[in-house]
Amino acid sequence: MLRGLAGILVVAAGIGAAAAVLHARDVDGPLPIPAERLLYLRSGQAADRLFLNFDALAADVYWMRAIQHYGRDRKSPRIEGRFELLQPLLDLTTTLDPHFNIVYRFGAIFLSMDPPNGPGRPDQGIELLEKGLRHNPHRWQYAHDIGFVHYWHTGDYLQAAEWFERAAAMEGAPDWLHQVAAITRAEGGDRDGARQLLAEILNSGEGYLVSAAERALAQLDALDALDQLAAIIERYREATGQRPGSWQDLVAARYLRGVPADPTGVPFAYDPATGRVSLHPSSSLLPLPQGMRHD
Amino acid sequence: MSAVTTQDLTKDFLTGFWRPVPKRALDCLTLEVPTGGVFGLLGPNGAGKSTTLKLLMGLLWPTRGTARILGLPPGDTAARQRLGFLPENPTFYDHLTAEELLSYFAGLFGYRGEARRRRVEYVLDLVGLAADRRRPLRQYSKGMVQRVGLAQALVNDPELVVLDEPMSGLDPIGRRDVRAMIAALGAEGRTVLFSSHILTDAEELCERVAIIARGRLVAEGRVADLASRHVTGWRLTVSGGDDEVLARVVPGGTVERLADGRAVVNLHGETRPEPVIAALAGAGLRLESVIPRRESLEDVFVRALNGDAGDDAAARAGRGEVAAR
Amino acid sequence: MTPTLRRIGLVAWHVFKEGVRDRVLYAIGAFALLLVASAILIAQITAGQDVKIIKDLGLAVIELAGVLMAIVIGVGLVAREIDRRSIFSLLTKPLPRWEFVVGKFAGLLLTVMVNVAGMTAALFLMLTFAHFRMTPEYRAVLDAPVVDPRLLLVMVMIGAELALLIAVALFFSTFSSSALLSIVFTVGLYLAGLLSQDLRRFGDIVDVSPAVAWVVQAVGWIIPAFSAFDIKSQVVHGLPLPDGFVPMTLAYAALYATALIAASVGLFSRREFK
Repeated sequence: MLRGLAGILVVAAGIGAAAAVLHARDVDGPLPIPAERLLYLRSGQAADRLFLNFDALAADVYWMRAIQHYGRDRKSPRIEGRFELLQPLLDLTTTLDPHFNIVYRFGAIFLSMDPPNGPGRPDQGIELLEKGLRHNPHRWQYAHDIGFVHYWHTGDYLQAAEWFERAAAMEGAPDWLHQVAAITRAEGGDRDGARQLLAEILNSGEGYLVSAAERALAQLDALDALDQLAAIIERYREATGQRPGSWQDLVAARYLRGVPADPTGVPFAYDPATGRVSLHPSSSLLPLPQGMRHD
Repeated sequence: MSAVTTQDLTKDFLTGFWRPVPKRALDCLTLEVPTGGVFGLLGPNGAGKSTTLKLLMGLLWPTRGTARILGLPPGDTAARQRLGFLPENPTFYDHLTAEELLSYFAGLFGYRGEARRRRVEYVLDLVGLAADRRRPLRQYSKGMVQRVGLAQALVNDPELVVLDEPMSGLDPIGRRDVRAMIAALGAEGRTVLFSSHILTDAEELCERVAIIARGRLVAEGRVADLASRHVTGWRLTVSGGDDEVLARVVPGGTVERLADGRAVVNLHGETRPEPVIAALAGAGLRLESVIPRRESLEDVFVRALNGDAGDDAAARAGRGEVAAR
Repeated sequence: MTPTLRRIGLVAWHVFKEGVRDRVLYAIGAFALLLVASAILIAQITAGQDVKIIKDLGLAVIELAGVLMAIVIGVGLVAREIDRRSIFSLLTKPLPRWEFVVGKFAGLLLTVMVNVAGMTAALFLMLTFAHFRMTPEYRAVLDAPVVDPRLLLVMVMIGAELALLIAVALFFSTFSSSALLSIVFTVGLYLAGLLSQDLRRFGDIVDVSPAVAWVVQAVGWIIPAFSAFDIKSQVVHGLPLPDGFVPMTLAYAALYATALIAASVGLFSRREFK
């Protein structure tokens, strides 16, 4: 019994030592992982043939790699070549398994995210979703997502409205899509219109989009707050004849109850030299969508 | 010193996958195999013979009890250096020749170079496979494989040879050859311990036997003692004379006629043959043969098994177990 | 030579002898040679990339053939002896059980390595052929020399990977009584090991609970990392390897394989043979 236990310990120690060596190797001099390695096959069609009957399984592996690549690059500080493999990996995954639903929808959102949260390539996101529609023409969700990407990332409200209408016309599409399409056509680029649209999305219970919509709502709130703060600073200047030196001046003069913070709790930045208010550089809401006008 | 001794040797096997239950294969076997000569371990199939031999060889660990082989514990490398073992129904490697196999095993015993080659040649000759030494083993007949098995058991010139069912599955010629080899090994002064469920083999070969059944030792001793304690009568063959004469001369026996006209007189129990022979001669009959009717090992065996079965039933009844399960 | 080494050598030599006479090995070897040779044909239809294709395909086939041999023969090493009852004769010889296990490992390693060496020689032969068919100007623009000595480095890494795989196969065959089960376990662990790098980086996946990530990463470190030996594309493209990369990988394989053999010896020494 005791000998058995000792034996198990010895073996475990051996495997532990081996793992430590492997860890040391990977920390010490990791093999540079070029595109070459992750994407030994750039052509999805070649991969599709190569993997024979196991292409769906291979698609799973590439999907995992895509997520890891996205996650790792989002955490890493490097600027150059950020997210550069995201599109090829997603394209390969969907070529191997053209019905891999989640890849189109998540993938498009990943691709459309502005730096530093993503590569800021809504065009690639839309391309991916259009590929999804070609393979799965009945999926109204893809058309809806294209509309969303247009609305939020390219700022092309006309296109967005068109895609929402196309989605609404598809079989099985929910009624609220008509509403969304109408709002977009009438009030595209308008914050209240955007709020209504996002609220519809939140209520739709489309889990994967909810967090994106919540973030967008927070950004809208931040934009509103920035406008209000600019107005307060203007009033202070009119009243005192000079710009406030800091948020403290505004609090002392009872224009504000405390140091204002954005919806994520990060204080807004104020530059006394120019009088400009902005999001703190560390805020996760950056970058804000541009061209979103206030009515 | 005894070649093999066991003391209360017991082995339970766990059977069943999910909830293993111990099943006793060998129950408190205490046995002594003297050095030199042929010893038979007898018993029906499933009695525990193979289990006993594997315990002695260190292929199984005893649940309880101890065994010594050549004075050493089973599995001891020094003991293995001095013994040979033939497993039941051995098969070897398909792609080797007999010569290669024996050379491999001889090497394990530390034979090297010329000595190794000579030793292999010698045992191949001994088992009569010299002509087939270069053929791959998969082309061998069953009898030839058994000979290879014997050869590998003898390759180290062992003091003790342990053979598990050495005669099983062989044709009559093969059995005779193996029997002759065992007898020769015994005559050379080696100790041979073999297991068998065939009694005539043992009767011819062994000085001593042990009979086990259902994992227990039921009889043990010299073959002569075990059997001759129970002389059951005499068998006289005579020619000439008729039934009437015979009935008069042999009051205590039964008479049967053979097809060729001769008569067989059977004397039972304590009746001595001498007065009958004198009377037969007096009546002018010709005596052709006188054979004592000893109890054969088979009779001993059957009686031992029955007795054991009786004990068993009684033991169960005593413990109040339900016999019909 | 000590008696122990002699006996281990005898067991190993016997494994090798049985191995090279087995039809399975011929089948795998012939298949591999055929594939390596077919690289020439494939190279003809992929203009300009022929050397890369010959190398890629050749290396992949050599690795795959080695893996097949290691698994198919490896799981049978002990199982077959038990099936055929030859184990009874062998283990009652003065051969301690640990020597038996180590001998089996050494024997299969020898068998597989001899085959890998043969296939490597064939690959180099083909590359030499390709080398002389090329104009010097064309050779000058390639990433790596046609007949590249660094390919031997790939072979060393493949050898280490196969040694580890053999240790895995042997480990399963020392306690499982069914060859089929051993194959299933070994192949399963091999595939998992190929994915182990993805498992070790599981923490990079966004939105996964730390507990799950921790468990998956731990599994990634514990299972044999068969993916850690792949430097094929690195060498084929003539890219440099970090200092100490190969020695550290070899040390990893040696440590892990030793631990597995120790476990095999421990299990096998306690095993009973009914």
